[in-house]
Amino acid sequence: MITLTSVTKLYNEGRPNEVQALKGIDLEIARDAITVLKGPSGSGKTTLLSIVACMARPTTGRVTLDGEVVSGLPERFLTELRRTTFGFVFQRFNLIRGLSVIENVMLPAAPLGGDHATVRERALERLAALDLADKATMPVEFLSGGETQRAAIARALINDAPIVIADEPTANLDTELTMRFLEIVRALRAEGKTVIMTSHDPRIWDAEGVDAVVEMRDGAIFGEFA
Amino acid sequence: MIFQTPIMALLLVAGLASLTALWSGGFAVQVLRRWNLADMSRAQLQRERATELVSTLFAAVMLAELAALLLFVFNADRMASLFVGAMCAVGTLNVNGYGFPALYLKIGVFFAAVLWLMLDRADRMGRDYPLTRVKYGVLLAIVPLVLADAGTELAYFLNMHTDVITSCCSKLFTPANAGLANEMASIGPGASLWLLGGAGVFVAATGGFALWRGRGFGLYALASVLMFALALTAVVSVISPYIYEYPNHHCPFCILKPEYNYYGYALYIPLFLGTGLGVGAGMLSLFRSRESLAEKLPAMIRRQVIWSMAGFAGFGLATLYAIASSNLIIFG
Amino acid sequence: MTPWLRRQRALADYTLASLARRKGKNIALVAVYAIVVFVLASAMFFAASLRLETSAVLRDAPEVTVQKITMGRQDLIDGAVADEIGKIRGVTSAKPRLWGYYYDRIVGANYTVMVPDDPEMIPEPGSVIVGEGIPRARGFKWSGAPLFLSRYEGDLKRFNVARAFESDSALMTSDLMLMNETDFRDFFEIPAGLYTDVVATVRNPNEVATIVEKGSNALPQMRFVTRSDIERTYQKLFDWREGLLAALAAAGILAFVIFAAEKASGLSAEEMREIGILKAVGWDTRDVIAMKLWEGGLVSLGAFLLGTVTAFAHVFFFGAPLFAPILKGWAVIYPDFALAPHVDGLELLTLALLTIVPYIAATLVPIWRVASGDPDAVMR
Ligand SMILES: Nc1ncnc2c1ncn2[C@@H]1O[C@H](COP(=O)(O)OP(=O)(O)OP(=O)(O)O)[C@@H](O)[C@H]1O
Ligand SMILES: [Mg+2]
Repeated sequence: MITLTSVTKLYNEGRPNEVQALKGIDLEIARDAITVLKGPSGSGKTTLLSIVACMARPTTGRVTLDGEVVSGLPERFLTELRRTTFGFVFQRFNLIRGLSVIENVMLPAAPLGGDHATVRERALERLAALDLADKATMPVEFLSGGETQRAAIARALINDAPIVIADEPTANLDTELTMRFLEIVRALRAEGKTVIMTSHDPRIWDAEGVDAVVEMRDGAIFGEFA
Repeated sequence: MIFQTPIMALLLVAGLASLTALWSGGFAVQVLRRWNLADMSRAQLQRERATELVSTLFAAVMLAELAALLLFVFNADRMASLFVGAMCAVGTLNVNGYGFPALYLKIGVFFAAVLWLMLDRADRMGRDYPLTRVKYGVLLAIVPLVLADAGTELAYFLNMHTDVITSCCSKLFTPANAGLANEMASIGPGASLWLLGGAGVFVAATGGFALWRGRGFGLYALASVLMFALALTAVVSVISPYIYEYPNHHCPFCILKPEYNYYGYALYIPLFLGTGLGVGAGMLSLFRSRESLAEKLPAMIRRQVIWSMAGFAGFGLATLYAIASSNLIIFG
Repeated sequence: MTPWLRRQRALADYTLASLARRKGKNIALVAVYAIVVFVLASAMFFAASLRLETSAVLRDAPEVTVQKITMGRQDLIDGAVADEIGKIRGVTSAKPRLWGYYYDRIVGANYTVMVPDDPEMIPEPGSVIVGEGIPRARGFKWSGAPLFLSRYEGDLKRFNVARAFESDSALMTSDLMLMNETDFRDFFEIPAGLYTDVVATVRNPNEVATIVEKGSNALPQMRFVTRSDIERTYQKLFDWREGLLAALAAAGILAFVIFAAEKASGLSAEEMREIGILKAVGWDTRDVIAMKLWEGGLVSLGAFLLGTVTAFAHVFFFGAPLFAPILKGWAVIYPDFALAPHVDGLELLTLALLTIVPYIAATLVPIWRVASGDPDAVMR
C-alpha cells in the first residue's frame, strides 16, 4: 500500500514564479492492482507520480510505502529505494540515443554492481518476452514507436522492481499498439506487479483489468472510481 | 627560492588543497548552523547535494596529498646535490627551519584526510545522516591544518638558499648529539627490537580481543599509535642499519633511495596503512551505537581492524626480511 | 569481483560508450591536453637528461681546480703552484693545465682549445684534433681539409686536422680543439712556465673540504673550485631553465584548464538530457560523479600517455628540436648527440601532478553541478 497524506508540492518555492502543482493530496494506492491517474493537462499527474516513485520529495506531507515513511529520506536513500522498488516508463520514453537497446535496458542496473553477465542475461530475457530479442544490439534511434516503448518497458523491469509506473504510455500510439501495451500491462499484473499509470486516454481508463481510476484536477483529487 | 618543476607541482597541490579547505570550511559552518533533516525545503536538498561535492573534493585532496607527500620526500632527496653537506632528504629538509615541520604537517594532513573520509563513509551508511554534524565539525579542525601545511611549505621553499651549509643524516641520527632524532638512534638495537616486538604483541592481543568481543576498539587505536611510534624508533635505531649494512648509519630517509631498492616503502606503506586504519577503527567505534549505524558500522570497524593488523604484520615481515637478508651482524 | 568493482566496471563501460559517441569533441580535448603534457614533459625530460649527462661528465673531472686571481679576475698561474699543492696531505696528484677559448670570427662560434693530458691525444706540431662540432660549423665537405684560424684582422694560421673525434657525451666536447703545448703557447702567446690553472685529484672525497682549507691558507691568492661546486652550478642552471620552461608551460596549463572547465560546464542539451535520464532511471548523484570522474580519468590517462610518449620520442629520438636552443644555452654549436633515454618516477609524478591535478580541479565543480540535477527533470 502506498499512502499519501496532505502532500503538497511547490515548484520554484519562494520565487515569483512559484507553482503549486499539488494541493494537499490524500490518497491510497493499492498494491497488486492497476491504478490509472487521469485528468487534464497540467493537473499534476506527473508530479504526483514522481513523488510516489521517490523521484522527488514533497514540499510538505507524508508518503509511506508499505508502512515505511519515505518522504523524509535523504535523496541518496530515495534513489536506492527507487531503483529496487520502482520501474519507470517515461512519457517520452527517454532512451539514450547512440546506445543499443540492450545497453539502454541495462542502465538502471549499473549502480547496483550486479554481475555483468547475469544482468545481460536478464535483459535479454526481458527483451525476448517483449518480442525485442532480435533488436537487442540495434541503436535505439532506429526503433519504431512501439518498439521504443517496449524497450522502455524492458528497462523499467530490469531490476525486478515490484511496482511499475508508466506516465502517458500510449500518448503517441495507435489503437493496435495501445491494445498491445494493455496486454503487456495485464501480463505484468499477472506476474504480481503493481502498475500505476497516468493517461488522458479513455481507452486506458476503460480497459479491462484496470482496478482503480483516480481523477485529478488542478493539483487536487477530484474523484476516485473503482 | 629555487625554481624547480617539482616545487611548482607541490605548491600547486598545496594551493588547491587550501582553496578546497577554505570553501569546505565555509560550507561546514553553514551545515553546523542550518542542517535540518526535517526540513524538506529546496535549500536543505541543495545542502545535501553539496555534501557530495565536499566528499568528492576531500577524496581528491587526499589522493593529491598522498602523491605530494611522496613527491616531497622524493624531491628533497633529489635536491640534496644542491646543498653543501646534504647527502639525502634529511639535509634538504634541514636547509631551513621549515623543512621538517612541512613534512610533519603533510603527514598530518594526509592522516586527517584519511580519517575524515572514514567518517564520511560511516555517515553514508545511515539513513538519517547520523554523523554529518560531527563530520563537519571535524572538517573545521582540518582546515587550519591544511592551511598551515601550505604556508609552511611555501615558507620552506621560499627560504631555500643554496649557499647554506646543512647538516645531514650522519650528523642528525647519531647517538652523539642531543635531540629526539639522536635519542631514537641511541636506543640500543636490542632494546628497540624488544619494544617493537612488545608493541606487536600488544597490537595482536588488543586487535584479537576487539574482533572477538566486538569492543575495546579504542584500546586497539591506542596500540596502533604506540606501534607507530615504536616502529619509527626501530627503523631509526636498528632496521635501517641492517638495510645499509653499516651499524652507524641510522637515516630513516636513505632507505627510500633506489640504492637500497626502495626498501623503505615496504616498511612505511604498511605501517602508515596499519596506523591509519587502526586509529580510524577506534574513532568510528565511538559512533557504533548510533541507531541508524548499528547494522552496518560494526562490520566496517571489524574490517578496518583486520586490515590494520594485516598492515602491521606486513611491516613486521618487512622488518624480519631486512634483518634476515642483511650481511650486518649486530647480535651474536 | 566485489559489487564495488562491478559497479565501477559498469560505470566505466558506460563512460567508454559515451566517449566513443562523442568522438570529435573528446579527440579535440585529448589532443589539446596531450599538447600541454607534451610541452611540459619535453622540457622536463630534456633538462633531466642534461643534468644526468653533466653529472656523468663531471664524474671524471678533477676534484679540485686551482685558479690564480689577480684584481678579481682569473690570471695565468705559475706551474710551481702545482708542486706546492701536490705536497698537501691527501692530494694524490696536482697538474697544471693549459686551455682557453678561441672565438672563430668566420662562423661566429666559440671553441674550447686545450692541451690534452693524455699523450695519445696530443697532436703533431701544426695539427689539431677537433670535436665533431668544429668541422660541422665550418661546413667542411671532406676530411683532411686544413683549418685556418684567424686571431685578429689579417692574421691566418693553418692547422691540419689530424682527426675529428666523436663522443657519446658531446655536451662538453663537441666544440673542443686539442693542440700540443708548443703550438698552444705560440698561438695564444703564453710565456713558458705559466698555465691556465692547476687541477688536483684527492684520495678521499670526504677530505676535499679540509684540503681546500689547507690550500687556501697556504696560497691565499689562489681560488679553489671543487667539483661539487661546479656540479651545483650546472644543476642550478638546468633547474632554472627547466623551471623557466615549466613556468611558460604553466600559462599553457592555465589556458587549458579554462578550456576544460568550459567544456565540463557547458554541456550540450543532449548531454544534459542523458544525465537527467540516468538520474531518473536510478543513478545517484554519486554514481554520476563517479561516471564523470571515469571520463576525466580516461581522458587524462589518454592525454598523459600520448603526451609523455611523444615527448619521450621528441627528446630522446629526435634530440628535442623544439627546446634545445633554450635548454642547452645560446651557444652557436649545439652538440649533435642523442641524449641517453632516461625517465624516472620523480619526473612522472611531477608531470602527473602538474597536468592531471589542474584538470580534475577545473572539472570537478562543473561535474558536480551537472550530477546534482533533479531526477524528475526529464519527466516532462
Ligand atoms: N519544474 C517545474 N517548474 C515549475 N513548474 C512546474 C515544473 N514541473 C511542473 N510544473 C507545473 O506543475 C503543474 C503540474 O504539472 P504536471 O507535469 O504534473 O502535469 P500533468 O498532469 O502531468 O500534465 P500532462 O498531462 O500535460 O502531462 C503544471 O502547471 C506545470 O506547469
Ligand atoms: Mg504529465
